[in-house]
Amino acid sequence: MKAIIRIGMSTSDIAAGAEDTFRAIESAVRHRQLDVTLKRTGSLGASHREPVVDIEIDGQSTLYGPVTPERVTPMLDQHFGAGERGVSDDWVISRKNDRSDYPFLGKQYKVTTKLCGIIDPFSLEDYLAHDGYQALKQALKMPPEAVVQTVKDSKLRGRGGAGFPTGIKWELLRKAPKHPKFLICNADEGDPGAFMDRATIEGDPHKLLEGMIIAAYATGASQGYIYARAEYPLAVNILRNAIAQAREYGVLGENILGSGLNFDVTIKEGAGAFVCGEETALMHSIEGKRGMPSMRPPYPAQSGLWGYPSNINNVETLTSISSIILNGADWYAGLGTAKSGGTKAFALAGAIQRSGLVEVPIGTPLKELIYDIGGGCANGRELKAVQMGGPSGGCIPARMLDTIIDYDEISATGAIMGSGGMIVLDDTVSMVNIAHYFLSFTQDESCGKCVPCRVGTRQMLNILQRLLDGRGRIDDIEKLRRLCYTVGKSSLCGLGQTAPNPVLTTLRYFEDEYLAAVTNDVQGQTKLVAEASV
Amino acid sequence: MITLTINGKTIHANPGEKVLDVALRHGIDIPHLCHHKDLLPSGSCRMCLVQVEGAAKPQTSCGMTVQDGMVIETDTEDIEAMRRDLIDLFVSDHPLTCVTCDKNGSCNLQDYAYRYNISETSFDFELSRPKYYDDNPFYIRDYQYCIMCGKCVRVCDEVVGANAIDFSQRGFETIISTPFDVPLAESACVFCGNCVQICPTAALLPRSKIGKGREWEMSRKQTICGYCGVGCTVEYALKGDKIIYAQGTPDGTVNGEFLCVKGRFGWDFVTSPDRLTTPLVRKDLAYELGLTDEPWEMPQTPVFKGKPKLSNYIPVSWEQAIDITATKLADVVKQHGSDAVGGLTSARCTNEENYLFQKFMRAGVGTNSVDHCARL
Amino acid sequence: MELKTKKPLKKQVYLGQPQDPPPPELIAILDKYRGKPDALITVLEEIQHHYGYLPRKQLEHTARELGFPMSRVFGVATFYNLFQFSPPGRYQVRVCKGTACHVGHSEEILSYLKEKLNIDEDETSADGLFTLQTVACVGACSLAPIVVVNERTYARTTPEKMWDALEHLRAEAVEEVAS
Repeated sequence: MKAIIRIGMSTSDIAAGAEDTFRAIESAVRHRQLDVTLKRTGSLGASHREPVVDIEIDGQSTLYGPVTPERVTPMLDQHFGAGERGVSDDWVISRKNDRSDYPFLGKQYKVTTKLCGIIDPFSLEDYLAHDGYQALKQALKMPPEAVVQTVKDSKLRGRGGAGFPTGIKWELLRKAPKHPKFLICNADEGDPGAFMDRATIEGDPHKLLEGMIIAAYATGASQGYIYARAEYPLAVNILRNAIAQAREYGVLGENILGSGLNFDVTIKEGAGAFVCGEETALMHSIEGKRGMPSMRPPYPAQSGLWGYPSNINNVETLTSISSIILNGADWYAGLGTAKSGGTKAFALAGAIQRSGLVEVPIGTPLKELIYDIGGGCANGRELKAVQMGGPSGGCIPARMLDTIIDYDEISATGAIMGSGGMIVLDDTVSMVNIAHYFLSFTQDESCGKCVPCRVGTRQMLNILQRLLDGRGRIDDIEKLRRLCYTVGKSSLCGLGQTAPNPVLTTLRYFEDEYLAAVTNDVQGQTKLVAEASV
Repeated sequence: MITLTINGKTIHANPGEKVLDVALRHGIDIPHLCHHKDLLPSGSCRMCLVQVEGAAKPQTSCGMTVQDGMVIETDTEDIEAMRRDLIDLFVSDHPLTCVTCDKNGSCNLQDYAYRYNISETSFDFELSRPKYYDDNPFYIRDYQYCIMCGKCVRVCDEVVGANAIDFSQRGFETIISTPFDVPLAESACVFCGNCVQICPTAALLPRSKIGKGREWEMSRKQTICGYCGVGCTVEYALKGDKIIYAQGTPDGTVNGEFLCVKGRFGWDFVTSPDRLTTPLVRKDLAYELGLTDEPWEMPQTPVFKGKPKLSNYIPVSWEQAIDITATKLADVVKQHGSDAVGGLTSARCTNEENYLFQKFMRAGVGTNSVDHCARL
Repeated sequence: MELKTKKPLKKQVYLGQPQDPPPPELIAILDKYRGKPDALITVLEEIQHHYGYLPRKQLEHTARELGFPMSRVFGVATFYNLFQFSPPGRYQVRVCKGTACHVGHSEEILSYLKEKLNIDEDETSADGLFTLQTVACVGACSLAPIVVVNERTYARTTPEKMWDALEHLRAEAVEEVAS
C-alpha cells in the first residue's frame, strides 16, 4: 500500500488553522506507526474548505475539508483503521481523482496553478517528477527568436491586468541595443482581494523560476529580480529556497545546463506601497528609492532599471511560459479567444458560496465562473454585481454576466480584466459605498507626485463621502464625472489613470443609487436632475 | 535636424531635445509648473500635456523627446479643459490670498489661475499641509502654498548636491521636509536659496521680501556679484534705492539662474551705515601731507583692537588717495628696493583684475612677491 | 566697524561628522550592504526587524555609514507602509481592509477597537500592549473579516469577539508579567 497525505499549508490554509491540523495528523501518524508520506503542499484553491487534506492511497484520492484537528482521528480511521467511524459526508470534498464530483475543482482548467496543492513547494524533486524544467531544456534547444515567436503565437497577454501581448514585450527587450538587460517579475500583488500570485508561488515556485529563465534566454536578460510584496513572508521563504535549489541544480547561475546562458535571480522585498505595482515605480523601489512613477516614454524596454533595458512581467504571465513551450503555442492559443490565449486565474471572494482560487480558460462566461464553479451568491441573497480588477477595475452588474472573460470584452463593460481579484457583491451592498471603498484605497495609496491623483482622487472621495452621508449637492454627480475624466486622462501613471474606474462603472450601471444620495439639496431641483438624467 | 509640426507650424529641433523646450523656444506657450530647463523633467504638474497624433492619451511634453514627423497640438479644447481642471485642483489646496501675498505678480500659479479664469476652487477647499517654518535668517517655508512641483528637491539634489530636503510621507499628505523635520540649520542645507528662486509659488520666500513691497513696484538691476572671482550675474530687485531681494537671472552667463548663499543673501552691507563710502587717510599721515592742521599721534594701543574710530581718519577723494598710495609706494621702492614691497590680492577680484595686479607688481613695482588669498 | 570674535561652529548633524560609532548589531546589518546603492529599503527592513521600529539614531548612522543623504533615507522610510518610527506594542493588531473584509464590515471592527482601546490607527495603547494597524489585504478572503494579531489570524470575527480576544491577550500578558 502506497499512501500519501497532502496537507495544504499555504498562507490562507494557515490562517484557517492548517498548522494545528498538520500537527494533529503528524502525531497521529507517528502514534499509529503508519507507513505514509506526509506532504506540505500549497493551496488547491478551495479556500472555502480550508484546511484541506488529501489522502491518496494507491492512486485513489479522497479530499477532505475543512479538517479541524478533531476531525483528524475519524478521518484517519476511515482509511487506516478498522472500519468506518464517524466520518460525515460533509467533510469530504471529493472522492474522485479528477474532482468531477466537486464542480468548484472539476470545472476549472488549470495551467499555472496545476501543481498547486499537489507538490511540495520545498521539493525540487517533486517538481522534476512533474515535467519540471523540461520546458527549459526544450527552449534552450530552440533559437531565442523562436522562443519569442512561440510566445507571440500563443497569444499570451500580460496577466498583470493591462493585457499587453507578452511576446511583443519580449521582442522589444530582445531588440534593445544596450546591455545588460534586466528581467523583473512583478510579484507585488497589491490589489485588495487578490492572492493568485501568492498562491502560485506558495504552491509551485519553480514554475515561476522556469518561466523567468526561459524569458531570460529569449530576451537576453542577464539578471532577474522578483519584486515580492512585503506581506508575503511565506512566499518569499519558499522562493528563496527554490532559488537556492535551482542554483544547485544548475538552472540558475553561469552557463545554465551547458547552454552558455548566464542568468541569476534576486528577490527584492517591497515595503508596502500599492503604487509599486506600476512598472516605473517598481523599478525605483528596486533601486532603493521612493516608489514614485516616472513618465513614459522612455519605456522600460528602452531605459528601465538603472537606465538599462528592462522587462517586467507578472507572476502569472511567467508561470504560463513553461506550459506554452511544452505543449506548443497552438495548444495555448486554442484555450482562449481569438485575441488572447490561455487561462486566467481569479481570486473569487465576497458574497459567494464557494470562494477561493480558480483558473478558467479565457473566453469562459462570467456566469459559468460564478454559478457553476462558485455556486452563486451566498446566504440565499441576490447577486447584484461582480467587481473585477480591484481599485483599477469596475463593477459588472448581474444582468451582464454573460460577458466572457476576455481583455477586450471586459474592458467594454468599463471594468478591467485586472490581475484577478473578483469580488461578488450581493444586494445588501451599496454601490456608492463600494466606489467610495475603492477610491479611498487608491487615494490612500497615491504616491502624491501628480496633482490629478493627489488632489483629484481626494476631491472625488470628498464628494462620495458627502453622498454616503446624505449630504450630496445638486452638482456633485456632474462634478464627479468631470473629475473622473480629468483624473483618468491626465494622471501620470496607471494608478491615477484607472482610479476613476470603480466610480465610472457604478455611475454607469447604478446611477439611481447616486441620484438617491443627492437628497439634502433643494428637493425639487434634485428631482429635476433625476428626471433629466433618466 | 528634426522636423516636427506644433499647432500647424513647422519647427526644427535638435535630436534629443524635449518637445516643451522646443515649443517654448519657438514662442509656443505650453503651460508648465514643474519644468525647469536646468533640471531633469519630472512630469508632476501635468500642465504641459499635449495631444500627439497617433497617441491615444495626452502626452507629457516636458519629458517627451522630439521625433521626426511628430504632429502636436498644444491647445485643443479637451486639453485646455483639462488644464483648467488641474488649476482648479491646485487651488483647492492652495489659499488664494493673492491680495496680501508677497509672490503676487511673480507667481506662476496665479498666472495660470488668471489665464483660466479661476478665482476660487469649484471643489472643496482642503489644505493638505498647513505647515509654516521660520527657522533660519534667510528664507521662510510656508507649505500651505506648496504645489508639490518638486523643483526645490531637484535643484537641491541635481544642481547644489546638498540633498537637504526630500519628499516625505505619501499621497495627499506628501510634504517636502528635512529629515525628521529638523530646522534647516541642523540639516545639510547650505542656504544657497536656489530652491527659493525656482519656487513657482509663495511656499519659499526670502525673508527680506516679506511685507516690503509688491513685485511691480520694484525695479531690477543686473550686476556682477562682488563676492568672488566667478563673476555670477546677480539681479537685485529694488524698491526706490533699497534692495529688496537678490536673484539669479536665466541669462546669467556663468551661473545660469543659480547663486550661492553670499550672492543671494549677503547684500545687506550695501546699505550698512558702517560702510565706507570714500577713501580715508589716517590723521598722522594727513598732517604730514598737509591735509589737516591738527597734529595727531597714533595711540599706543594697537588700532585694530576694538572698533576703529572714524574720527582718527579724514576723508579724501579717490584721486588724492591714489596719489598718496603711489607716492608712498614709490618712496619705499626708492629707499629699500623693489623686493621690499609685496602684493596680496583677493579672491573677490576677477581674473582680469588679478592679472592686472600681478602685472603691476612685476612690471610696475618690479617684484615677484605677489600672492593671492585663495592660496593661503 | 566691529570685528566679531569667532563663535564655535554649530555641530552639523547631517553632514556626516563622526559622532559615536554605530552599535555592533547595526554594523552587522550595514556591513552586508556596503557599496550596494540599491539596498536602502532592504537595510531599513532589517533594521526594523531587529529593533521593531526605525530608531532615529540608527537611521542617522545608516545614512552616514552607507553614504546616503539623510533626506533620502527619511523620504524612503516615510514612503512605505511597512516602516514605523515608534516602538510597537506587544501585540500588533492588524485589521484587514481587503474588499471581502470591507463587504464583511471590517470597518466596524476597526472603529470598535479604536473606541475600546482609545487610540487611533497606527497608535499604541497606553499600556504598551496593542498597536492598532490596518493591512490592505491579507489574502485570505474566504475567512473574511479577518484580524491578524502578531502571527495569529482571527477569522470570521466580529467587533465583540475581537475585543474578547484582545482582553484575553491582555490577561495573558498581565499574568506573564506577574510570574
